[in-house]
Amino acid sequence: MDLVRDVLDKKLIDREDCQMGRVSGLLMHVGENSQPRITHVLIGGDTLWMRVHPAFARLSSKLRRAWGPKRNEAVKIPWSRVVTVGKDVKLDVEAKETGALDWEIWVARNIIERIPGGGSEEEE
Amino acid sequence: MKKILQLTLGIITSVGGFLEIGSVTTSVQAGAQFGYKLLWPIFFGTICLIFLIEMSGRLAAVSRHTIVDAMRERFGFPFFFVVLVGIAIVAFMVLVAELGGIGFALQILTGIGFPWWALPVSFIVWLLMWKGSFSLIENGASLLGLITISFVVAAIKLHPDWSGVASGLLPTMPQSDKARYGFLTVSILGATISPYLMYFYSSGAIEEKWDRSYIVMNRIIAGFGMFFGGFLAMAVLIAAALVFQPKGIQVDTFPQAALVMVTALPKWGFYLFALSMLFACFGAALEFSLAIAYFFAQGFGWNWSEDLEPSKDSRFAFVYTVIILLAAIPLMLGVDPVKVTMISMALTSATLPLAIVPFLFLMNDPIYLGKYRNGWLSNSIVSIVIVISFVLALISIPLQLIGG
Repeated sequence: MDLVRDVLDKKLIDREDCQMGRVSGLLMHVGENSQPRITHVLIGGDTLWMRVHPAFARLSSKLRRAWGPKRNEAVKIPWSRVVTVGKDVKLDVEAKETGALDWEIWVARNIIERIPGGGSEEEE
Repeated sequence: MKKILQLTLGIITSVGGFLEIGSVTTSVQAGAQFGYKLLWPIFFGTICLIFLIEMSGRLAAVSRHTIVDAMRERFGFPFFFVVLVGIAIVAFMVLVAELGGIGFALQILTGIGFPWWALPVSFIVWLLMWKGSFSLIENGASLLGLITISFVVAAIKLHPDWSGVASGLLPTMPQSDKARYGFLTVSILGATISPYLMYFYSSGAIEEKWDRSYIVMNRIIAGFGMFFGGFLAMAVLIAAALVFQPKGIQVDTFPQAALVMVTALPKWGFYLFALSMLFACFGAALEFSLAIAYFFAQGFGWNWSEDLEPSKDSRFAFVYTVIILLAAIPLMLGVDPVKVTMISMALTSATLPLAIVPFLFLMNDPIYLGKYRNGWLSNSIVSIVIVISFVLALISIPLQLIGG
């Protein structure tokens, strides 16, 4: 598997077929006497903006501290939860429980639900 | 039957390419100054767009991924980010122009200046997106957009010289005003071969849950839809050539363009022109607002669908809410939508390579398309569009300064 071509930037789908963002980075463990291995899939956070320029990562970090769901780190999903890697990456997790949808929920609760007709994020 | 009804996706897409304020303004200006000589860029742009739109639909139907999805996945976030910045700025300018076009149409009908219409018009566009479904927007805008067929009636009633029309389909160089001719050619191609239409169409195909069974229907929808738009844009140019060129009138303002219809249809022409522009710009404003929101949502992997309640795809809804609100501001301040549209068309041409070059790679990717990859004909057309897009990118801004 070519990690950059086949995994990075791919759409992440949870066990309920819910979209939960894209792979913004991969965490790798490099041991002295073992082969390097991927440990986590990263979603959002500074990793994504770091790939454009460190200045964007600093800006994104500052904005996140001032505004939004106050999550300091990127969402990390253990590689062991990856079920399949194809056109999308399928995970054996529930999107809401991982924190990947924190921004979606924050925008819904703090802005969209306050506008008439916006509905409720919690309703099924 | 359900598949046939999706012709409306082709019609609404083509309205955004051929009948919005930018296309109508350039067609009228081109006809007024150069007669039928600038029919060829519309004809050529239509052929290119038929192929590009067909490919956009095919990619979505086969892979269940939009162009933006595939671009982010294949070319990575840094490249996507550069395209996002370029496309978002230009698409925003086009949205300002379209909202201004609705305001102009209402100004013609009521006599109340377009800045006063900026907020109510933006609110109605937003409300339709907030409460409406994709089908409502698609079908409503397409049906209302059919009033633009009145441009064809106007062109026929003015008795054009059909041999002159046919010769206008081939490129010729004018004796004078070459910079202006070049600028209008670039503007027409910029307004026609517009990447937002491809993004919108492929997103529409996903909204409508297309699969491989739509491959043939997609060809019909893309062909019919773009032909419909191109045919009407040519009718606008022909009518303008017959009304303005013999009298040597240069068209500088949008309300002047109404004379095209008033001359051909003295009784109803005034209202038909105003209503045509009202509905066409309205459809285009919805299309461009959606295209921008789709671009953000798909690129970042957010939930998105015009059929979901806003709180279920809150970031998608937030993006279109903010851009529609922001687009109203320059109009309230009295910024001329025609000037915005002329600049945005040149910028569309300048950013075209960013959209078309990756598209050629995507349309040949076996992971997304398998056996439905591009053949030699489609690849040749995209390659020609790429060459043109680079030429346009290089000359569009200098021509804007010299001939605009």
